Amino acid sequence: MSSAAKLLLLGLTALLALALGLMAGALPADHELAMQILTELRGPRVAAAFACGGLLALAGALMQTLFRNPLAEPYLLGVSGGAGLLALLGMAAGLAWPWVSMLAFAGSLLALALAAALGGRLLARDHTPLLLAGVMLAAGFGALIALVLSVAPIERLPGMLFFLMGDLAWTSNPFMLWAALLLAVGAALGLSRRLDVLQLSPLKAASLGVTVAPTRWMLFTLAGACTALVVAQAGSIGFVGLMVPHALRKTGFAGHRVLLPACVLAGGSLLVLADALARTVIAPRELPVGVLTALLGVPMMLWLLRKP
Amino acid sequence: MSLVAHRVTLQVGPRTLVDTLDLVLEPGEVLGILGPNGAGKSTLISMLAGLAVPACGQIMLDNQPLAALLPLTRAQHIGVLPQGDEGGFFGSVADFVALGHYPFGVTALDLTPLFAAWELADLAHRPLDSLSGGERQRARLAQLAAQQPRIALLDEPLTHLDPAHQARLLAWARNEADAGHSVVLTLHDPNWAAGHCDHLLFLYGDGRWQLGTPAALLTPVSLEALYGAGTAALWRKSDRAQPV
Repeated sequence: MSSAAKLLLLGLTALLALALGLMAGALPADHELAMQILTELRGPRVAAAFACGGLLALAGALMQTLFRNPLAEPYLLGVSGGAGLLALLGMAAGLAWPWVSMLAFAGSLLALALAAALGGRLLARDHTPLLLAGVMLAAGFGALIALVLSVAPIERLPGMLFFLMGDLAWTSNPFMLWAALLLAVGAALGLSRRLDVLQLSPLKAASLGVTVAPTRWMLFTLAGACTALVVAQAGSIGFVGLMVPHALRKTGFAGHRVLLPACVLAGGSLLVLADALARTVIAPRELPVGVLTALLGVPMMLWLLRKP
Repeated sequence: MSLVAHRVTLQVGPRTLVDTLDLVLEPGEVLGILGPNGAGKSTLISMLAGLAVPACGQIMLDNQPLAALLPLTRAQHIGVLPQGDEGGFFGSVADFVALGHYPFGVTALDLTPLFAAWELADLAHRPLDSLSGGERQRARLAQLAAQQPRIALLDEPLTHLDPAHQARLLAWARNEADAGHSVVLTLHDPNWAAGHCDHLLFLYGDGRWQLGTPAALLTPVSLEALYGAGTAALWRKSDRAQPV
């Protein structure tokens, strides 16, 4: 199958996922009320889910390219840890959601800045120090999050857990997320040929005329910004950013010009479907969507890994 | 197009590997670099490619400092085959080879002659990571050829290649030279160096270096001076019964 055909297929899947997302869940018999629920509640939430999934999968693909490692994912450098820590501190102090969201965003940026300052010196030649700094920071934030959880008022724990697992009930601004998604895809596509070359060793990429350090910093910034935006809107939704790019690479999406848009379509679809399930399986209660992405993703990934 | 190293000194930490080297690489020349492990061969390749800055001195490409060229312009003239393998995600062998054409923008390049030259035609649509070590090395050489460099710097290019493909590589180097391009190879085998290089550069690893023709440099005495006592016996024609 040609890459254009594959992308078209993914595009149709995305449309189907969006339609399913809108249909999932009960609607009242009253036509006007039903329309109101669709346009003011469910529609924006489905749109936000798609944008978040797309941004996470895109960020995951960029991180895997940056670190030349299939285990890389958006939260590798401690973004979710930094966001989680500040958001939980805000929740423990009883702050309302927009403040918590802003704290989460600030926490993500703090984690990225720390990782860059501690490990970014040698990025032209070696990405390992940045990777190690990020992994260490993530571990440190994880410990602090556990500390906050263990001393926080008990009635606030469910909200905190939902944030840590990722939940789309809070997302209030799908337009901002979509604007970010389109901008990020545009920027990443502009880099796509360079990213293909960056898969080679740093020395070989440099010999082909790619400026390795600036390109790597661009990747870091772009992936970091995408992740920080999503975490501030929906908490740390796991697995989408790790699994989607990996699965697509496994199924033959190789060049970045095809891989990156494919990640957006597949990541968006996966999160819309996971969120539809999260809203409906034990309705009227909801599950954190992060649980569903993992429950859907893990078997799929294991099945893919069976293939030689 | 000529590449000139003018009073270049290579340092790694406190050690001086190469001291004030003067080297002129003329069009149509094949230069072999020999020296023990850690003598600075790969570092010198990086410097000559403009990918690292020497501690002292300057590298000039046609009377222009190499450091002043834009990276893409430089890549249109100088190609490198570094040591080591590529660990990233690549699609087919064809995709991998085509990356070599990156410095020339989106213009299409017919890869068929390259696949024929490096015997990759049957492998072109296989995933890169399904290839053997020698096949991957051939794909890397084809990728370098896709860059069509006028100056090709190859770091231990014979690695993993069977004798037939070693011969093919050295014939390719001679073809490039005949077309007016220059080729630099790091090698460990004096026999190959004797047969296929116009000039040799010995790097001793302690700052000393020696430049000359194979006939002048490849004597048992100078090889032992380079590699250590007793090593010349490795290449001496044996009178003993041959294994076959």
